[in-house]
Amino acid sequence: MTESDMSVALGHGGIIEDSPFGIQSKKLVMWLFIVADAATFGALLFGYGYLRVGSPNWIRPFGFLPTILNGMVMTVVLLTSSLTMLAAVRAAQAGGGRRRECVRWLAVTAILGIVFAALHLREWFNLFAEGWSPSTNPMGGSVLFGGTFFGITGLHLLHVICGVVAILVVAIAFRRGRLDAGHVETTGLYWHFVDLVWMFVFPLVYLMNAR
Amino acid sequence: MATMESTPGPGMRLYVAVWLGLLLIVGAEVALTYARLPTGTLLAALLALALVEAGLGLMYFMHLRYEHRALFWSLIPALIFVFIMMNQFWTDAHRLRSLHQ
Repeated sequence: MTESDMSVALGHGGIIEDSPFGIQSKKLVMWLFIVADAATFGALLFGYGYLRVGSPNWIRPFGFLPTILNGMVMTVVLLTSSLTMLAAVRAAQAGGGRRRECVRWLAVTAILGIVFAALHLREWFNLFAEGWSPSTNPMGGSVLFGGTFFGITGLHLLHVICGVVAILVVAIAFRRGRLDAGHVETTGLYWHFVDLVWMFVFPLVYLMNAR
Repeated sequence: MATMESTPGPGMRLYVAVWLGLLLIVGAEVALTYARLPTGTLLAALLALALVEAGLGLMYFMHLRYEHRALFWSLIPALIFVFIMMNQFWTDAHRLRSLHQ
């Protein structure tokens, strides 16, 4: 049953029209959020590029060990979490006895998200211990590196943490039958977007700063 | 009348294939980083690979390939336009660099 059919059935005919995109409104809203958020990350990455091009004394602080290797592991973890999220969405859409399977995949996705966040925080604390901060550069040269690095990766980390919370909330509510497969799919869209942003953050912020 | 039900996507096999492809691209990015390429060439190569990754993620993981075309054409060109417009300030970044040299 479409949303407009439901509105007619409830006596609200003519108030809600079908989406021209043929998707549920929550999914459309998530797409609109994703486009807006992509522009936000795009602006941050362009800003980072601007400062980097404009700073003749920009330094490349990251060695393969530990930072780049850690970044590779984080990337693999995040990509794998997208795959487990896809498994959760498929199980949710199958319905019936696969509800538990969906919850299990959502739990695995959340755990992978937590692993990503933990690796990220460990890397941050190592950098703090070396004297890095958003406004200090222990290697000399431009201090703008810290500001852009912690700003961009911090916003991404915030997205990951929010995603983990959202996945856990949706998993619990889906298990209790309060949410449907559409909610799982919409949460999955957000999680894939977080993964997609990292596909630009890793090469531009990590690899382009490798020694 | 358009249906609001979720479009059935591809099977897990295709998802795993895309996931493996993405992992390979990440490996290629790291290999390129240590291939001692000039900075501009490395940036162009990494951006091209990131765009391929984004395309794969959008089309398969985020299902955009299996949705109404109207959704794609309503969202993606506008976003690309925004990113193109953001390129306007590179000349000022070069001006800033020349001021510091």
